[in-house]
Amino acid sequence: MTTPTRRTSVSLGGVLQAKFAVAALAGTLALIPGSGYGQQQTDVDGLPDWSGAWAMQGGTVFDRATWTGGGGAITVGSRAHPPYNAEWEAIYTRHVDLKDQFLLPDTNSICGIPTGFPRIFNLPDPYEFVVRPEQVWILTENGPNVARIYTDGRPHLEEPWGTYTGDSVGHWEGDALVFTTIGLKGWRDQDQILDRSGLVLSDAAHVTTRMRKTTDRTLEVQMTIEDSGALTKPWIVTKTFEKMPAGTHLFDYGCAENNRNPVDPSTGRTLMLGPDGEKLN
Amino acid sequence: MKSINRLAFLTLVVVGSLILVQPVIAHHSGAGFNSAEVKEVTGTIKEFQFKNPHVWIQVLVRNAEGQEEEWSVEWGSPNVLARQGVRPSTFPPGATVTMRVNPMLNGAPAGGFIGAKFADGTSVGRWQE
Repeated sequence: MTTPTRRTSVSLGGVLQAKFAVAALAGTLALIPGSGYGQQQTDVDGLPDWSGAWAMQGGTVFDRATWTGGGGAITVGSRAHPPYNAEWEAIYTRHVDLKDQFLLPDTNSICGIPTGFPRIFNLPDPYEFVVRPEQVWILTENGPNVARIYTDGRPHLEEPWGTYTGDSVGHWEGDALVFTTIGLKGWRDQDQILDRSGLVLSDAAHVTTRMRKTTDRTLEVQMTIEDSGALTKPWIVTKTFEKMPAGTHLFDYGCAENNRNPVDPSTGRTLMLGPDGEKLN
Repeated sequence: MKSINRLAFLTLVVVGSLILVQPVIAHHSGAGFNSAEVKEVTGTIKEFQFKNPHVWIQVLVRNAEGQEEEWSVEWGSPNVLARQGVRPSTFPPGATVTMRVNPMLNGAPAGGFIGAKFADGTSVGRWQE
């Protein structure tokens, strides 16, 4: 086995995307006048090698550790058990009931809505983790989505207004990336769930994430979710990623390109459309 | 495609599909398809829509009344399938094919893809005689 290089974490499979992202981000950072942040460092020595394509393990159940009822996220009778307060337990229970009737729409099926944080760690299809001294980018083929984690020493936004991926800043503790995420919109606009069982968070959620490689081919993401609006205590969720074969090719993902499974806004049902656009169900 | 290459290619597709059929179809709610039933339809490929988020195989099938009916068969994401060897040419227009699907619960001419067998005996997806 060859020793992985520690010079760069830009994968071969994602090199074009990474180059585009680097150019785009570099351009953006250059436009911040007088900013002490975003200085273009080029030395990536000492940063871990997270190159290549990665696949999330264990299916798209967000919290397998508390999952009951077996199966996957849409299996009838199954659900997770986060430490919800009574109000948010009622919201989740309603979602599970709808899911069991096949009436809970996946917000990802509304093509054009990005996958926010922390669901961005709960997607099928390949991931790329691009490590730079000033930022880490999480790129997902599914969506596609990008989450930016600033590691250039900047503080959190003073008044984050609630976005899909929120505001993430972090630092390196040895080979582990530790970052906090605030400013999440959560379920405020009812367009972000964590999995298709209907798990949700409030816009008060605050997540501390620790990412590190546990083996040469395994990357562990441990999230400690605190949410004064929805949870009675911290909720710890761990996701694991395995490295895909070298040379794995990633592609476009245009959800709206030929979406024949749109959500009926009046019923919440996921529709099935024929080739002429007429409903089949 | 030469027949031997086609056979090798389709073998790869079959192996990959054994692993991936269920997860990729599961992207959307499974409410439309009856996963407990397997239906077989034979017809002619009209179009293979190799597009995101899911591919669709349009098949012209002659029903019991002798009328031509267009079936819509949904499979996984083109990205996942492409990594397993499926290509837009996998279902060429005009080819005769027998499809095994999980049919719609309401009887509409559509289903979730399980496997397909071509007139030359090659197959794609999960296909056991």
